[in-house]
Amino acid sequence: MPANPQGQVAVPDHKRWGADRGPVLKLGKYLAIAKINLHQAIVYRSNVLGGLLFYALFIFVFFSLWRAIYHGGEVQGYSLRQVVWYLCITELLVFGCRTPVFTQMNEDIKTGALAYQLIRPCHYVAYQFAGAVGRMVFNLVCFGILAVVLGMVMVGPLPDYALTTLPLGILSACLGLVINFFLLMCLGLTAFRLEENGAFYLVYQKLVFMLGMFIPLEFLPGWLQRIARWLPFPYVAWAPARLLVAFSWPLFWQILPLQVFWAAIAIGLSLLLYRQGMRGLQANGG
Amino acid sequence: MNMIEAYDLSKTYRTRVRGEGLAASARAMFRPVYREVLAVQSIDLVVPPGEIVAFIGPNGAGKSTTIKMMTGILRPNSGSIRVLGLDPVRERSNLSYHIGTVFGQKSQLWFHLPPTDSFTLLGRIYDVAPGVLKKRIAMLTERFELGALLDVPVRKMSLGQRIRCEVAASLLHEPEILFLDEPTIGLDVVVKQAIRELIRDLNQEKGTTIFLTSHDAGDVEHVCRRAIVIDHGRIVLDQPVKKLKYDYLNRKIIAVRFTEKHDLKPLPGIEVQKTGGLGSRLLVDTRIRPIGEVMSWLVGSGAVADITVEDPPMEEIITTIFSSQDEGGA
Repeated sequence: MPANPQGQVAVPDHKRWGADRGPVLKLGKYLAIAKINLHQAIVYRSNVLGGLLFYALFIFVFFSLWRAIYHGGEVQGYSLRQVVWYLCITELLVFGCRTPVFTQMNEDIKTGALAYQLIRPCHYVAYQFAGAVGRMVFNLVCFGILAVVLGMVMVGPLPDYALTTLPLGILSACLGLVINFFLLMCLGLTAFRLEENGAFYLVYQKLVFMLGMFIPLEFLPGWLQRIARWLPFPYVAWAPARLLVAFSWPLFWQILPLQVFWAAIAIGLSLLLYRQGMRGLQANGG
Repeated sequence: MNMIEAYDLSKTYRTRVRGEGLAASARAMFRPVYREVLAVQSIDLVVPPGEIVAFIGPNGAGKSTTIKMMTGILRPNSGSIRVLGLDPVRERSNLSYHIGTVFGQKSQLWFHLPPTDSFTLLGRIYDVAPGVLKKRIAMLTERFELGALLDVPVRKMSLGQRIRCEVAASLLHEPEILFLDEPTIGLDVVVKQAIRELIRDLNQEKGTTIFLTSHDAGDVEHVCRRAIVIDHGRIVLDQPVKKLKYDYLNRKIIAVRFTEKHDLKPLPGIEVQKTGGLGSRLLVDTRIRPIGEVMSWLVGSGAVADITVEDPPMEEIITTIFSSQDEGGA
């Protein structure tokens, strides 16, 4: 065993292939994790069928509802077409791209399975995120195609849509997914301390649902809107959907920094909770 | 340098005590009551390179706590521990490149995918260069006879096939130490033997240090050179398996069934534990009476319908060890 004078083990070169290749290679590790998750999602593609069916049904019900409510014109700046596309997008992001991260964390922590992840040279939080990205790619494609088809069939394309703003909307959607994932991870990580944390999940789900997923934020009473804009929940679904159906530069510059802010908070908090939890785990076992 | 060095290692858990009844639960919300559990008490343990160690003891003896401290999952309360010269908790990530783990009860393979995919992923996680990884997978495939299994989803494999893949997966990054936690649990005799041979060969060919926990006396007898017995968090025995075998692994349990009524007279070295109808259960001390002799004695006693020979369960061996230790100590 090669050892340097400090008693440190010298890592043989053939082993630490990635040691001095820096972050790019580290990224490669997590890309591989995303890839195997995508692969597994494709192998188990029939799992997605039930979800697609439910998605279509849900959109159809709300399409009928909105059609009955709208008598032409706009409501709070949304036409019928826009509001249906809005719903297609929020459902795509929150329902279509849902990940079991909350339950996964809970289970890993409570059953002690987390320990088996710790003996590998990769960061647990990053491992979970990479895995979720892999699965999300698959769902995003499946539900995305369905969303576009449903939107086209029910209300047709949005008039005068500026395709050049589409990438910005997609960027916002990605940020929304990141916020959602890491907020759920924070909730899941509370399992380190709390035995019963299911209530958090329910409350979170309801908040995301009410503040943007189910109806645009603009439809809510003014005072509630003002409170909601200071909370992270609308930036999961409302922000990207709004930017995708009714883009405007002032709104974009208002929303994007807040999304980045909330994403940073959620990621930072996840890492913090994880580190604290780990300390407890190392001290007290699973 | 020693592969593992632990001195005066102790670990205490703090678990929450739950009182009975509503009042106690309400009180616990504001003032939780904790109880300290001594999982491991001042263990000294030195493992030189190339050793094959069996780490045995009953459930709750502190086996997995010790392994968790060695792999950096648990922080010891006191004492010092070095694995490959590294502090497992502080240098967990660095250490993880050098140790491999197989947990019989917890798979590291992707259940729904063929093992090739898991191998590739693990190779990436351990930063093994793609070219090197390819060669290693080919080598392990040949050595572990995985050729026919490489594209079979893990869920369609038998337990024995899966464990072979598990062990192969844990070797992709060529660890210096391999921790095996109950690797043969639930396997049939033939497969058990195959796994044992693989582990032994690995140790001989690559010099990999093996640290194995098991409930199976056979694992200890056929694989390991040194046995450490732990109970109630303390090491009660640490000696070569040869000696352990001579002292404690010399008993066999023989279940025999005759086709007609028979009469078994006890002989020195043979204890009739149970007789009922046409069957009997015997405990044989092979130092006094070798198995061959017992066989001919049985055949001479009547028309034999069936014979099975087994090792006594680990629990029984440990009980024997404890009782002899008590005698020695008294």
